Amino acid sequence: MTITRLGGRLLVTTLAVLVATAPAVAFERAGDRKILVFAGRQEVPTIDPSVKYDWSIRMMQQALYDGLVKYVGNPPEIVPWLAERWEVSPDARTWTFHLVKNARFHNGDPVTAEAVRFSFARTLKLNQGPAWMLSAFLKEDGIKVLGDSTIQFTLTRPYAPFLSFLPWWYVMNPKQVLANQQGDDLGQKWLTSNAAGSGPFRIKRWQQGVLYEIEAVDGYWKGWPSKDHVGGVILKLVREAAAQRAALLRGEADIVEGLSADDFDQVAKTPGIVVPNVPGMTTFGIKMNTQKGPTKDVNFRKAIAYAFDYGALVKIYNGNAVLQTSPFPNATRGHVAVPDFYRQDLAKAKELLARSAHPTGGIELEYVYVQGLEEERKMGLVLIDNLAKLGLKVKMVPLTWPNMVARGAKVETAPDMMAVFTTPVSTDPDAVAYQYHRDSWGKYYGSHFYANEEVWALIERARTLARWEDRAPLYLEIQRRIAADAPEIFGMLANRRWGMRDHVKGFVFSPVRFTGEVDLYSLAITAK
Amino acid sequence: MLFGLLCITFAIARVVPGDPARLAAGPDANEDMVETLRAKYGLDQPVPVQFVRYLRGVLVGDLGQSLRSRNAVADDLLRYFPNTFELVTLSLLLAVALGIPLGMLSAVYKDTWVDHTARIVSVSGVALPAFWLGLMLQLVIALHLGLLPLGGRLPLTASPPEPITHLLLVDALLRGQGDTFVAALRHAVLPVVTLCFPALTSIMRVNRAEMIETLKQDYIQSARAQGFSGLRIVTRYALRNAMIPTLTMIGLRYGWMLGGTVLVETVFDWPGIGLYAVNAAVSSDFQPIMGVTLLIGVNFMLANLLVDFAYGWLDPRIRRPGGA
Repeated sequence: MTITRLGGRLLVTTLAVLVATAPAVAFERAGDRKILVFAGRQEVPTIDPSVKYDWSIRMMQQALYDGLVKYVGNPPEIVPWLAERWEVSPDARTWTFHLVKNARFHNGDPVTAEAVRFSFARTLKLNQGPAWMLSAFLKEDGIKVLGDSTIQFTLTRPYAPFLSFLPWWYVMNPKQVLANQQGDDLGQKWLTSNAAGSGPFRIKRWQQGVLYEIEAVDGYWKGWPSKDHVGGVILKLVREAAAQRAALLRGEADIVEGLSADDFDQVAKTPGIVVPNVPGMTTFGIKMNTQKGPTKDVNFRKAIAYAFDYGALVKIYNGNAVLQTSPFPNATRGHVAVPDFYRQDLAKAKELLARSAHPTGGIELEYVYVQGLEEERKMGLVLIDNLAKLGLKVKMVPLTWPNMVARGAKVETAPDMMAVFTTPVSTDPDAVAYQYHRDSWGKYYGSHFYANEEVWALIERARTLARWEDRAPLYLEIQRRIAADAPEIFGMLANRRWGMRDHVKGFVFSPVRFTGEVDLYSLAITAK
Repeated sequence: MLFGLLCITFAIARVVPGDPARLAAGPDANEDMVETLRAKYGLDQPVPVQFVRYLRGVLVGDLGQSLRSRNAVADDLLRYFPNTFELVTLSLLLAVALGIPLGMLSAVYKDTWVDHTARIVSVSGVALPAFWLGLMLQLVIALHLGLLPLGGRLPLTASPPEPITHLLLVDALLRGQGDTFVAALRHAVLPVVTLCFPALTSIMRVNRAEMIETLKQDYIQSARAQGFSGLRIVTRYALRNAMIPTLTMIGLRYGWMLGGTVLVETVFDWPGIGLYAVNAAVSSDFQPIMGVTLLIGVNFMLANLLVDFAYGWLDPRIRRPGGA
């Protein structure tokens, strides 16, 4: 019993010590700086702008580096950044950019045309990350420095969307990169967790797998949009949604991303928390294998598209989603609402099914989705219910992301139906149209293996025309024809949502950013 | 044994579906980019060549490079493993410190309310999933009562001490950073309790069962007849003999805990190898998976070696040639 009493006293003493040292709440402070805490689930394995990008990586890259131009606002506009102006030749092959004179890297070196040349050449040479956006059109010898502040890109063939990809090509300081080169790695190892940029923030702490802290650059060459701008940002990894939510409610996080629709609805009702709720550019579609199995038949695919209950998609997101009205997301330039776009019409579905090889159904279709993604599972249940009315059975197959990508990589293994979220990296319609080109076969968004030579020819022609007036009618036709071929169930665009403490101001949404990604530059904290 | 482990892990990693180069290159990468990465990481070589290269690397401490983090796997393990080691070791120590006395009490007071309460706790340990317990502790202790942090290893603005052993708590003590030590300890309480609970109940159950058997032995009755105190009989004579199976359980538990921390690490944002391994697995990132497996295998062997030595310490008959 003495032991029990001793244990009890020890426990009480320990708890007393722990309570006495309980942490304070609200945003962090470092001197007179207000440090915003962003609780995100996704790591930032590297910040090398030439190597990789996803939402968390790009959020940090955008904070540490500058591009020639930047996407801002909703609808997204391309605004001058390191480049103060530019010219394009009538054939969309030669692009000349004039840089601002006052831009400085964090170590004080000026941002020059040579730095731009080096950065673009490095990305092309490493052939990773954003290289795919331009590598088919831009070669290293096509980049010419015309002066300290003027750089010219001569493309191998005309490419109108060129400008729309430049916000994601960041400019690095060649001196710093080369000084930290190991062997011939062009600084890759060093740039994994170090930055050589000119952006509004610099790295303060980089604890891989734990947190990433950046601090605002005093006297940032572009200036700050608010006097209350954040003094720094801590991206804290909080991998469990329940813990993210708790961190926001407890005031340990100023912004969280990635909560479920129900959680967002609930935290939105909490005093002191706001939830921006805006349509993004991420489409949800159920890709159908257009070259194998029953979905090879266009009538069969259309029957499925007309049998699907689209309203259920919006309900799954508690109303925080809009239905697609075209294969292109709404914020895409040239988007048009395709007339008579797919909505549930069972009579029409049965009529189309009657024209297919399976007029009375009686077969089973495979629906593959990402294991653990609750929304996709619910969409599968909707599919089971809807297709039962056509006499079709649906087998739901949850797969891990790598396995799903592997299934969709070949026409022989691509499932009848595959649930896919896709975020285009640019607002140019080519970024979406090209997902239906032969070159996209084998990628996760190309698991429909869509084949229409006429559409491909239109896509190839449209990307080479310089004048929007010439391109616009082609994209109108492309949208119409893709819709007519029904390579997928064109679903919806879920709203982007974040949970934020109400002292966070200056949030500027741009749908071209990835899910979860926030432009940290414009954020401010107004609380004392 | 480790060679066998390497062979099996390597084979499994190569037969699972998924193209690691494609996944590492990113969803938009074209074939040329995928091939560039494949060549860079030697994935374009025949599998036997890849295996021989890997074995050669392992012999000199090179566990390859992670396609996901782009870091050397050995560096990643050095970063993440000490965190898991601390979590598992603290949890096991707590489980042993509570499980053995509780098992003992339960056996001594068999079929009384003490025993019934202990058995309820024991069944709960098996029935409650670790992530649920973790979330509940977070909800009540951290969120509602505000007694302890929600997760992580240190407060957001605190920096870890310069590494000596790479064990945060130990380094904080060695560097004389008392505040950091207390902060790290506070952050460790909830994950340690969560991870400890299933181990505690296993240890308690085994210890209880062995103690009940041991307390029926003739030599215990004889000791009682000689008038030794109950406490002395239980702690000095019965417990020592009942500890052999309990030690076996502790050794096995240690291995399971090393490989099974992922849920606790996820809930509490504990930057350990469990999370690292799972992230690697969902990205088909082979080298980290093999590195983690190898590391856990080595630790499992070491733990069981220690248990074997402990048998000898507890029971002198085992130390003698020929054993008991």
